[in-house]
Amino acid sequence: MKKEIAITAYKCRKCGKIHYPYHDRCLECKGREFEQIKPEGDVTLLAYTAIFNLPWGFDQRYLILGVAEFENHVKAMGQIKVDSVDQLKAGMKMKPSWEPVRVQYGEDVYGLKFEPME
Amino acid sequence: MPVDMELEAVLRPIQYPMPPYPPKYVVLANGKKMVIRQAAREDVPAILKSVHPCLFIERDYYDVVSARVYGELLAWYRYRVKSAYCLMGQVDGYLVGIVNGRMEDEKVGMSYHTLAIDRGLRIGSHLFAAKMEYHMEYLNQEEVLIVAESPIGFRRWMIEYPLEETKIPHELGGGDSYRLTREIYFKAKPRLVVGDRPVPQDLMDEAMREVKFADDDTIRERIAGLKGR
Amino acid sequence: MRDVAIIGAGMIPFGRRDEDTLMEMLAYASLKALDDAGLGDKSVDAVYLANMGGGMLQHQSAIASSLVDRLSLLPAAADTVENGPASGASAIKNGLLAVASGYYDTVLVVGGEKMREVTGWRATDFVATMTHPQAEYPYGITLPGMAGMFTRLYMEKHGVTREHLLAVSLKNQEMGTLNPYAHVEMALDREGVFDSPHAVVNNPVSADPLHLYDLCPVSDGAAAIVICPLEMAKKLSKPPVLIAGFGQATDTHTLQERDDPTDLKAVTLAAKQALEMAKLKPSDISVAELHDAFTILEIAESEHVGFFKKGEGGKAAAAGKTRLGGQIPINLSGGLKARGHPVGATGVAQVVDIVWQLRHELPKTRQVKNAQTGLTVNFGGFGNNVLSFVLKRVEP
Repeated sequence: MKKEIAITAYKCRKCGKIHYPYHDRCLECKGREFEQIKPEGDVTLLAYTAIFNLPWGFDQRYLILGVAEFENHVKAMGQIKVDSVDQLKAGMKMKPSWEPVRVQYGEDVYGLKFEPME
Repeated sequence: MPVDMELEAVLRPIQYPMPPYPPKYVVLANGKKMVIRQAAREDVPAILKSVHPCLFIERDYYDVVSARVYGELLAWYRYRVKSAYCLMGQVDGYLVGIVNGRMEDEKVGMSYHTLAIDRGLRIGSHLFAAKMEYHMEYLNQEEVLIVAESPIGFRRWMIEYPLEETKIPHELGGGDSYRLTREIYFKAKPRLVVGDRPVPQDLMDEAMREVKFADDDTIRERIAGLKGR
Repeated sequence: MRDVAIIGAGMIPFGRRDEDTLMEMLAYASLKALDDAGLGDKSVDAVYLANMGGGMLQHQSAIASSLVDRLSLLPAAADTVENGPASGASAIKNGLLAVASGYYDTVLVVGGEKMREVTGWRATDFVATMTHPQAEYPYGITLPGMAGMFTRLYMEKHGVTREHLLAVSLKNQEMGTLNPYAHVEMALDREGVFDSPHAVVNNPVSADPLHLYDLCPVSDGAAAIVICPLEMAKKLSKPPVLIAGFGQATDTHTLQERDDPTDLKAVTLAAKQALEMAKLKPSDISVAELHDAFTILEIAESEHVGFFKKGEGGKAAAAGKTRLGGQIPINLSGGLKARGHPVGATGVAQVVDIVWQLRHELPKTRQVKNAQTGLTVNFGGFGNNVLSFVLKRVEP
């Protein structure tokens, strides 16, 4: 079953700036009250890379990661489900999903994954 | 004591026919050209001189690897190992690295060790790749069984290729073998196996003329990279 | 506020120093700086020790207390300063403010790190702990990964090419061969790392589009300085080096929250503050040590500091304008790229190298002729905490 994307972003009630991750005060206006919002829709890829020297905890040869923006302007990092960065281009539309991104202490850790649209 | 050839006939393992590894050269990051060629059995006593100083370097398991290489090459030299071979890398005639292995049977190769004497130039990567090239493209084997004895080896071979985990014991007696299949090899080849043939005559002549060896202190410094305070 | 000068500078060779503990490295570098300052058996009022990973890598905490004990500097005040890879410059800033305020007269600042204690995987993970613990770290992002994303964006926006990045690698590794303190003492060859098809193995992609030789090594090392009021320093024999200006600025923790991720605002601000305080313009600087943990950073910082316009830094590097004898020589030490990057030591090492430049103590192959002013940039996180110093030679 497809899991819901368990990210909460925060929209400043004073100026409307969207934050992810959480800040105690708005980065724009110092407002302290936020509306919790869920990322919505598909994403647009903003930046990406393939990392070949991975940290402890990853056994694969490489990992492709990127930052993408949801339709309601929440921006977040995620792993990208492609074999090569040659399949990617900034500005491309992708499908987000919530899946295991690593294993820690024997448990799956969930996070964002992005996959190119057909 | 003279060798008793009648007894030797019993003790010496059979040898599979092994086509030679055609020499190649690789341009290194510092612009030097490394010739990779097959060592002859007669080269072994000389090669061991370069292996010897590594026996006393704990860093990155050089002591373990070089002690084993020493034994493996000696066993090959004195006909105590089946279908063994050794490839070596030379820069300006100097020995900069060694890889060795053998044929377990016609289909299965057994990778032994990779010993880079000069470091920081990916000499180990080039030589390991040449070893796999030999098994797959010249000995035409189906698979090679490999284990890593150092974290660097694990990263370079198991992860970079990446090799397939198996439950097959490796004859070095450590962890279970990882396996290089023909499919993995040919998929990895474009990014891991390089080198040009034929080796230009002057370069080949220099390599063949003499296998030069750095002195013990130089070898230790190159590997350990020890610096003053 | 009093003017503050550097009267002692010392460093130990960077590299892989299996034979030394973190504390030994810190002690050796400190003694070199104390001796260079000619303090003899005199003590200092305070010690600021820069270190990022003692707790994580060596399982050792409160290391400043341990160092003053080891060096017989008791009862000097002692603090450990942890500010990621900008710890070194942060420690200097703390020492500078303490002396400038008049509270302390003589202060030792030392930075050190022992990163080769652990395997590459663990060291990469240690550095990645700087990333956001929920929004970034779990995904496996590394600092080279951040730099990879930044590089692609910077290339697209400002026309930086792989040739430009290569120019920085070639220059800095060449300078490393001339620096006895450098971790990497191997000159690169263009054919071997770029032109030849064999470069695919020699210089593989590390964090796309950055390649292996675009990245600094993981190093052990330590560096130290001794500072005091300028008026005291003038009585000593060596030319004092005035800390004429400093700046520090921060930026968002995650790259994704920056309006323009290619804009290194904290670099611009820190350098601007430092230059303004010193009453100098970028064109007045004789020599610079920039934080080239990745080749792209040397180019981007050279633009953000104001040495070159945006889009010109890469071309300037390729044209040799940042080499010795060029318009603004950068990283004649080899930079982080070749001198190495023991994270806690780097910010101090940059200042030590500039001190040597301004005292005109380096061999001709690395010495900027008649250097009078120097600038450093020490870059923490991925540009979320940046410090800059402007140093000036004072004739004795």
